[in-house]
Amino acid sequence: MHELAIAQSIFEAVETRATECKAIRVKGVRLKIGEASGIVADSLAFCFEMLTSLDPMLAGAHLLVDAVPHRARCRHCDREFAIANYIAQCPACQEWSTDIVSGTELQILEMEYETA
Amino acid sequence: MPKVTIAQNILAVNENIAQDIHQSLTARGIRALNVMSSPGAGKTTLLERTIERLRGQLTIGVIEGDVETSADAERIEAAGAETVQINTRGACHLEAHMIRDALTQIELADIDLLVIENIGNLVCPAAWELGEDARIVVVSTTEGDDKPAKYPQMFAISQVMVVNKLDLLPYVDYDLHKVKRQALAINPNLRIFEVSCRTGEGLDAWCDWLIAFTRGA
Repeated sequence: MHELAIAQSIFEAVETRATECKAIRVKGVRLKIGEASGIVADSLAFCFEMLTSLDPMLAGAHLLVDAVPHRARCRHCDREFAIANYIAQCPACQEWSTDIVSGTELQILEMEYETA
Repeated sequence: MPKVTIAQNILAVNENIAQDIHQSLTARGIRALNVMSSPGAGKTTLLERTIERLRGQLTIGVIEGDVETSADAERIEAAGAETVQINTRGACHLEAHMIRDALTQIELADIDLLVIENIGNLVCPAAWELGEDARIVVVSTTEGDDKPAKYPQMFAISQVMVVNKLDLLPYVDYDLHKVKRQALAINPNLRIFEVSCRTGEGLDAWCDWLIAFTRGA
C-alpha cells in the first residue's frame, strides 16, 4: 500500500545520493522488496515513473526490483521453508514455532548513474 | 556507468522516529500500546471501559487518531483519561512523527500507560511503527470470521487480538473457533481475549493482562 508515498521516499533518497555523487542523470535504482512487505512492485514502478517524469536528473530512471520470498525457519527442526498466505507451519515437522527469515524487506540497494 | 550502494530501508525515517519515541517512553517507565482495527470494531469503547475499570490502578494517557472530528477524544476525556486528538485530514494510518508531535501535548510525568488508538483500518497501520511496546488488533463478531486470512499482515505483527461484541453472537453467523484458528495459524504467539464491552464479559481478564503488561511483566 502507499506506493506513491514509498515512491516519493525513494525519489528523495536517490536525489540526495545523486547530488552527493555529482550525477547528471540517474539511470536506474535497484530495490529489494519482500513478498510480505505489502508493496506491489508494478504499482510502485508506475508511481515512481509518474513522480520522476519531469525531473531532469531522474526522468527515465528504471526501477529494478529484487523480489524476496516469504520464508521462515522452524525452531523445532531447523528446516527453512517457503511461507504461503502467512501460514508459518513447518511442512516437515508440523510445528508452529518459527522465525521469519525473509520477505518483509523494503530497501533501496543501489543506484546507477551518469556523471559529466 | 558508475553504481553506488545505498542499502537503506525505505521506511527508515519512520522507524528511527519510532525508536526514539520508544526509548524516550521507556526511560520514563511508560509502556505504550498501538490499538488497531477496522472502523467500528470497538476500539474507543474498549478504551472507555478499560479506563473506567482501571481508575486508581493505572494512569492512562491516550493519543486518538481519526481522519476527522474530535468525537473519540471527547469520549475518552469523559471517561477520565488525558487525551490528545490527531486528525490526519486524509491519511489512513498514523505515523511516528505524528506521535512525536502529539506527545509534546501530554503530561508524561503522570502516565503509566500510553494508548495510541490508530485510524480504523486493517491494512495500512500494520506497516508503520509508532514506538509502541505491543500492538493490539480488535475484531468484532459483526465483521465476519475470515478477517485474519484476509488481512494477514495486521495479525502477523500484533501481539494481542481482542474479539469484541460477544453479546451479539446469537444474532450473527460468526464462528469464534474459525477466527481464532486463522489468527493463530498466522501468529501462533497471539494472545486472544474475547469480550463484550456492552455486558462486561471478558473485561476482567483483559484488564488483568493490561495491568501486568504495564507493570513490566
